[in-house]
Amino acid sequence: MFGSSLFFYGWWNWRFVFLLLWAIASNWYAGAQIDKYLLVGSKKSATKWLRTAIVGDLVLLGVFKYYDFFAVELSNLLGSRTAIPLLELTLPVGISFFTFQAMSYVIDTHRRLIKPMPILDFAVYLSFFPQLVAGPIVRASEMAPQISQRPDPRQVASGEAFQLILRGLFKKVVISSWLASAIVDDVFANPESHSSQDVLLGVYGYAIQIYADFSGYTDIAIGVALLLGFRFPTNFDRPYSALSLREFWKRWHITLSSWLRDYLYIPLGGNRGKNADTYRNLLITMILGGLWHGSTWNFVIWGAIHGVALVVERLLPNWQIHPVVRWIATFHIVCFAWIFFRAESFSSAMDVLQAIVTSPGPTELADVLLILILAAMLTAQFIPKFRSEDFKQWLNSRGILTQGLAFGVGLVLIDIFGPEGVAPFIYFQF
Amino acid sequence: MEDDTRPELSSQSKANGFPAGKVFFSGIAGLALAVFINSSALLADAERLPDGRSRSLSVAVWTPIEAIASTLKLTWPRTATDFLLGRSEDKEHISLHREQMASASESETEERLVLSIEEEQFLEVHPDEDPTEILDSAWNSDNPFTIWVLGDSMVQFFGETFVMMAERSSSVSAIAEPKLASGLSRPDYFDWPTRISEVMAAHDPDAVILMFGGNDAQNIRTDDGRWLKRFGAQWEEEYRRRIAVVMDLAAANQERVVLWVGQPPMREEGFDSRMQQLNDLYRAEADERQGVHYLDLRSLFTDDSGNYARYLPNSSEKLVDVRLTDGVHLSHWGGEWLSKFLLNEIKKSPDLEELWNQ
Repeated sequence: MFGSSLFFYGWWNWRFVFLLLWAIASNWYAGAQIDKYLLVGSKKSATKWLRTAIVGDLVLLGVFKYYDFFAVELSNLLGSRTAIPLLELTLPVGISFFTFQAMSYVIDTHRRLIKPMPILDFAVYLSFFPQLVAGPIVRASEMAPQISQRPDPRQVASGEAFQLILRGLFKKVVISSWLASAIVDDVFANPESHSSQDVLLGVYGYAIQIYADFSGYTDIAIGVALLLGFRFPTNFDRPYSALSLREFWKRWHITLSSWLRDYLYIPLGGNRGKNADTYRNLLITMILGGLWHGSTWNFVIWGAIHGVALVVERLLPNWQIHPVVRWIATFHIVCFAWIFFRAESFSSAMDVLQAIVTSPGPTELADVLLILILAAMLTAQFIPKFRSEDFKQWLNSRGILTQGLAFGVGLVLIDIFGPEGVAPFIYFQF
Repeated sequence: MEDDTRPELSSQSKANGFPAGKVFFSGIAGLALAVFINSSALLADAERLPDGRSRSLSVAVWTPIEAIASTLKLTWPRTATDFLLGRSEDKEHISLHREQMASASESETEERLVLSIEEEQFLEVHPDEDPTEILDSAWNSDNPFTIWVLGDSMVQFFGETFVMMAERSSSVSAIAEPKLASGLSRPDYFDWPTRISEVMAAHDPDAVILMFGGNDAQNIRTDDGRWLKRFGAQWEEEYRRRIAVVMDLAAANQERVVLWVGQPPMREEGFDSRMQQLNDLYRAEADERQGVHYLDLRSLFTDDSGNYARYLPNSSEKLVDVRLTDGVHLSHWGGEWLSKFLLNEIKKSPDLEELWNQ
């Protein structure tokens, strides 16, 4: 499994295999040292190793992902464009995901939540190819027992796995790619030349596109892992049905939000102190969560919008507001933040916002199919989980050959309905 | 954010599991079914790959599969669905030769015959048409100055920005038409000469901006099926001929402003060197024609040392990222720079400066 994962990662760029190997070796060794010192009661030394490991991971992330961003900002601040040399390194795919997993491992070892893993188990955990490049961020506590116990080859959940892979491919290849080419790319590239209605539809379209894209990838990753006998945590749970921002973050990229909660928000003090401290902690967590996605101010603003909205939610009196109003407010705050997430620069985001307000006129991009897809995808968010699993149940109850043939027919249909040329997964860049 | 609940595992329901071996063979059966039904599309995709071992291997694998699938009539569901969706494979003839261009027939929905070079040239010198009429045209919102931007994925990254900037004048209408992964090396994937002749015939634009090359440093297949090795003497001769065909099509109307945009510097040294070799060919062909202006982007996108740079200082001396992380395409800022540069080039033509002052 480890060899397959390295081959998978090296296929993209073999040089970065060494980076992954370094992350595996350094964090595994740090975990072993932490455990060793904790066993002999030397918490100080264990903490020293924990700090070393975390700093090492952050340096890795910082050099490849953030150095140039801060160097450019600092250079601009100092007014001397040659003051700080730039590295201009290629961003290794999945670095944000595997460094976060590595950090969770050493922290959980220090917290005595998990025991150190054997080196090969840890290597499989950190490099496991289905989730290596775009998550979900799986904790060692979730994977270690599954790796050490070895999956039962007599019971492979094939029906569920095939259904997840098909669902993910459909969301990615058909929905996400189609929305991108039908309206989103056009609107965000040139908002000034579109009417308010079209720009607004483009923003709604992006909200659905990024959900279909990322949750689609997650579905495929969970499905592939299931075929290999591993069960990943849920990463999306109908996020656009949320009636508050707090609920949204319990439904969107759940493995990242729970990581930020457990390893950042709570260590900062969580909601244990004064209200002002809680608000500060929320803001810091969400802003850093935004920065995790990429080294641009737009991601910082995206995180800040969510942070401020979470604070405002806590400040609001406990009024009885109709759920429909709450849903509309929540969905539109999320969409407002997506504008900054999608736009290539702050000024581009402002152009989108300006076009929504100041460009009256009929729609030129909307058609029945677009409206139907947007409506169907939003409506699907409200379908109870047990109803949405009908296809899985049906597939599960079939014979193995029927499952395979249904899988094949599904692949053909997805290929037929998908547009020519599918864009890369959005979350690969993070 | 504050709750202590962990994300639950994806599904706690007990699966109706099957032994791994059976699942493996069932998955293979499903994939085989998909492969046979899709074999025509897969073979077509394989044939579009750049010449090399990957292509040879892919074609060798898919050819017999497609033959078997066709014999067993397994490809009809896909073919029928594509037909119903209006996605039938375009079997247009590759029109890179002047003789062939003359015989090109109806295409697209423009309801126009594709004009051959000869026809375009004939139109240009047609005695019934007074060329001074074009010169005297007063462009306005009803009769805008039209600009077409055509090319590969590079156009995707600056085309819309250019359109937005150009259309700041109500007397200008601009259209960007990028085709990803296309170029002049592989007309079997996308036939640019035919498309360009269609655009010229149907829209007769006042200015054309062309940008190719990013996908062209690959072996070329001639009409008689021979593969010409990249950058060999025969390859160069054939590629230059293709450049010439496109340039002649675009510049057939002598009043038209035709800008051929060279490839910017690339981060990867080998790729950069190949792009500069192509730039030399574009420049040489443009130099042979009065109506085509070659634009070099090297000075626009290099640092003080003349090297590729992702970040460059803008007019306020602030560093901005002008290239994407792939080291090839232009970022938002890079697109803006190039768009401004191109507009300035168009404005250099007599009387056109005024267009953006209206």
